[in-house]
Amino acid sequence: MSRSKLSVLLVMTLASLLILSSVALAKTTLTIWAVDGLELDDPHHYYVQNLVKTFLADNPDIDIDWVAFGSEGAALNNRIRVALAANVGPDIFQSWGGTFMGEFARMGKLLDLTEELSDVPTSEAAKAAMSYDGRLYGIAPFFAIAGLYVNEGIFEELGLEVPTTIAELEAVAEKLVANGIQPFAVGARDEWPILATYMYLVNRYGGTIFDDAVARKVRFDAEPFVQAGLKIQEWSKRGFFGNTPMSEGYGDAQLLMQTGQAAMQISGSWLCGLYADPNQTDQTIGFYAVPVLEGGVGKVTDLAGMTDVGFVATATAADKKDAVVRFLTYAMSVEAAEKEAGRVASIPGVNPPNRLTGMASDVFTQAETIQFWWDQNLPPALTTPVNLTIQSFLMDDTDVKAELARYELLVEDELGSVR
Amino acid sequence: MAVAQTAKRKKKRDWYRLGFIALFLLPALAILGTFMFYPIKETFRLSFMRSSGFGEEIYVGWRNYQRIFASPEFRQGFVNVFKWAFWSVAIQIPLAFFIAFTCVNFRTRIIGRLRGVYYLSNVLPSAITAMLGVFIFSPTSGVIKTFAKTTGWKWLESIDWLGNPKLAFWSLFALATWAYIGFGIIYLMANIEQIPTEIREAALIDGATQWQYAWRVVIPYVSYAIRVQAILATVGSIKLFDLPYMVTLGGPRNATVTLGITLYREAFLNWQYGRGAAIGVVIFLICLVITIFQFSFVNDHSATDHSI
Amino acid sequence: MRRKKVSQYTEEFEAPKSQRRLSVSSVLVHIALILLALIVISPLIIPFFFTFKTPLEFAYNPWGLPEKLRWSNFEQAWKMVRIGEGLRNSLQVCIGAVLFTVPPAAMAGYIFAFYRSRVTNVLFYVVMAGFFVPVHMVLIPLYQFSTKIGITNTFPGVFLPIAAFGIPFWTIIYRSFYSGLPKDMVEAGRIDGAGHFTVFMRIIFPMAKPATVLAVLLSFMGGWSDFIIGLIMLSSQSKFTMQLRISQFIGNLGANYFPQYAAGVIISSLPTIILYLIFHKYIIQGTTLAGAIKG
Repeated sequence: MSRSKLSVLLVMTLASLLILSSVALAKTTLTIWAVDGLELDDPHHYYVQNLVKTFLADNPDIDIDWVAFGSEGAALNNRIRVALAANVGPDIFQSWGGTFMGEFARMGKLLDLTEELSDVPTSEAAKAAMSYDGRLYGIAPFFAIAGLYVNEGIFEELGLEVPTTIAELEAVAEKLVANGIQPFAVGARDEWPILATYMYLVNRYGGTIFDDAVARKVRFDAEPFVQAGLKIQEWSKRGFFGNTPMSEGYGDAQLLMQTGQAAMQISGSWLCGLYADPNQTDQTIGFYAVPVLEGGVGKVTDLAGMTDVGFVATATAADKKDAVVRFLTYAMSVEAAEKEAGRVASIPGVNPPNRLTGMASDVFTQAETIQFWWDQNLPPALTTPVNLTIQSFLMDDTDVKAELARYELLVEDELGSVR
Repeated sequence: MAVAQTAKRKKKRDWYRLGFIALFLLPALAILGTFMFYPIKETFRLSFMRSSGFGEEIYVGWRNYQRIFASPEFRQGFVNVFKWAFWSVAIQIPLAFFIAFTCVNFRTRIIGRLRGVYYLSNVLPSAITAMLGVFIFSPTSGVIKTFAKTTGWKWLESIDWLGNPKLAFWSLFALATWAYIGFGIIYLMANIEQIPTEIREAALIDGATQWQYAWRVVIPYVSYAIRVQAILATVGSIKLFDLPYMVTLGGPRNATVTLGITLYREAFLNWQYGRGAAIGVVIFLICLVITIFQFSFVNDHSATDHSI
Repeated sequence: MRRKKVSQYTEEFEAPKSQRRLSVSSVLVHIALILLALIVISPLIIPFFFTFKTPLEFAYNPWGLPEKLRWSNFEQAWKMVRIGEGLRNSLQVCIGAVLFTVPPAAMAGYIFAFYRSRVTNVLFYVVMAGFFVPVHMVLIPLYQFSTKIGITNTFPGVFLPIAAFGIPFWTIIYRSFYSGLPKDMVEAGRIDGAGHFTVFMRIIFPMAKPATVLAVLLSFMGGWSDFIIGLIMLSSQSKFTMQLRISQFIGNLGANYFPQYAAGVIISSLPTIILYLIFHKYIIQGTTLAGAIKG
């Protein structure tokens, strides 16, 4: 071998080494915009904190730029909207899926991961929530179902049974009122918290009529919608929601439950972590399926639910697809999800962290149908109005039928008339 | 010859003057032009489109405007902001004037100490003001509720401060008065202090009481400032958003909804950016008309003959 | 030097004897003013009742005195807000907001007050029109434009729009303030043969000191209080301002952590309150100074 050949070889080897090493060193940075932060030492955040920490340790070639916006004033939603409209944005963002995500998908702002995520074990409901038009855009490791929180201590003290029918529920509520305890904590000032109660009542009266209404087979002022609305109004008049339901924020409602001033609440299982935490409450609270109506259509296994934590990838992450998929897959692993302190996992094989979450999990596993939270399931133009309409039922002088008819007009404008 | 030269010099001076005006207006107009007027122009254009704000746009003519004017929510917001503006002018300005006037004219030690206090609530970010409002009105842990429980006053306990449609407006208005009045006080104070002392002494020596002095001398003297204050309060009311949205979200049953909230609902919650833009344009035009009316209808005492 | 000014100011407050007499109206005025001052201050004390408590202690006894002073809520807030970085970021935004709001407004207000012609009057309405714009109306176009010129995720990208929203207001205030100045002062300057610029710098601007003090202070606080523009424009955590971080902190807790909320409230409002307490003297000094010049 001549000297010149040798030197050429040497240079080439060096060069290729350099290139190789630079490739190995170049880290992919995933930008993730989220609601939950990594800094706070709070059980509520254990899942994301461990997720990021372990993922980074296992994947040295990936960096994560985690930006948390909190849930104040829909900060993340607004931020995402403005950013994606200008075609800039994070690689992954936290999302509850549903129609909010669907709109982005429709505009082509998201990354289609149908094939890549097809093998990731998950519940059908979670998968459906993160899909739009048959394509999968993200994952939802946790799923929240709405159910009936019951203060078991109060029930025991007053000799009450957990109700299984609406009639029993009303009898229980009467007794609670007579004993000076607010039957239901709601938090209707924040609009959406009353939705869960109404969704269940509509189901108990009319089964899956909501789907028919969205498919434009029935009107939104059809009988079951009206009956459910009148029921809420009647309960409000009888004091089942306390004296000042509309002044009560969702935080107030939780405080009422935590201190035993209210005995029941129909809300999402995301509250399990809070109500099971002895630092937050000294009451014993249980989670049950919402009672059924005798002679009604809905069954006890008809549930309402939505994703609790979910992640969606954006189109700007197309060139980092591998890293994105690795992150999302890891987020759905049993190992990652087991760190969670209160939510119901949508991943098979995760043990619930406490009794209350276990009770919610049990209800979840018995589900036959899962109705997505309406405000996640209607087109964006109809979500705020639906919450406003339902909120108004709490007021004595609301004409329930007229309000629903007014809402129907909006729906017609958006989805067309009933065929 | 001489005449021509003076004319020339005058012309030169005119050019100099013009250049000076342009130079002094440039920074403000440049910043506004870039970050305000361009987006406004876009918004005006979008108000004639059906658009979710994502680029896809369909021209719909005046439909957005027809839609918003047909919406009861928008009409309620319209009524609310004018009600808000009226009471802001009717309550906040006299109150601000009272505090400003007394602070300037009752010069005792106590008042000297106090006058720095009234502005304090104004320095808070509105999110914080809203949170304090919740701390006050909350039915579980609010100040009023707790007070009612301790005293055992049932009537006070059952008042639905934020949940009663008739009351919620006033609860918020009280909160807003607390939060926003400070500026009016300081601004009027600064203007009242501009009144030359001899005018004041002359008035008082003539045997006028403090209140006569306030009525006959001070109010006419600061009328321009009061008018500016009225415009600021009116315009501020018409584009009001933060406080009602953060405390009640515009509820109950739209009792506290404002045009700003309907704008936000349409553009950011309902994804109807075109309709949101149309509401923005309406807010803009209302403010413009009111301001032009207020500035031109009432005679501007210091106007015109000021040019140097 | 400053001490002397302050003492002059207090002297001025020692009112002439005739006014020291206790009249009924004077007593009533005192009572009213003291009451109003209490109303203004008391809500600011609320958070201190909450913040030292555990969630349970708060839940059962929101208004009692805390069992003991627990600082853990503060520690959490402090940690999350990363106060050093947050303050530095907010400071940059605030200073930028002041620099790009006050001088342009002071200059434009001068033109609109003293150089009135049909054109400047129209321009005044053009500037004032900026005051009529609700911020949510322009967010999306504003962000798209800022992306085009590449200033998103920078501090100028935050304080320039804040300045654009502040200039109209302060131009109105300056114009009205200048208009209230005694004309003879201005004319005296003009007769002396001073140029346009000199009249402004030597006579008008110094006389508008109260307005300027107010404008500087309030645009600073405007920058401090801003939430929405910072939220839209900034995308890396290291650049987040105090308000964004407070909102992150509060929004991270869910709906029901009043004691921690209260800690957030205190941390986010204390700096402006301190600033105000330091500077409100200057406002008062400034105004009396203007009075002295004229008197």
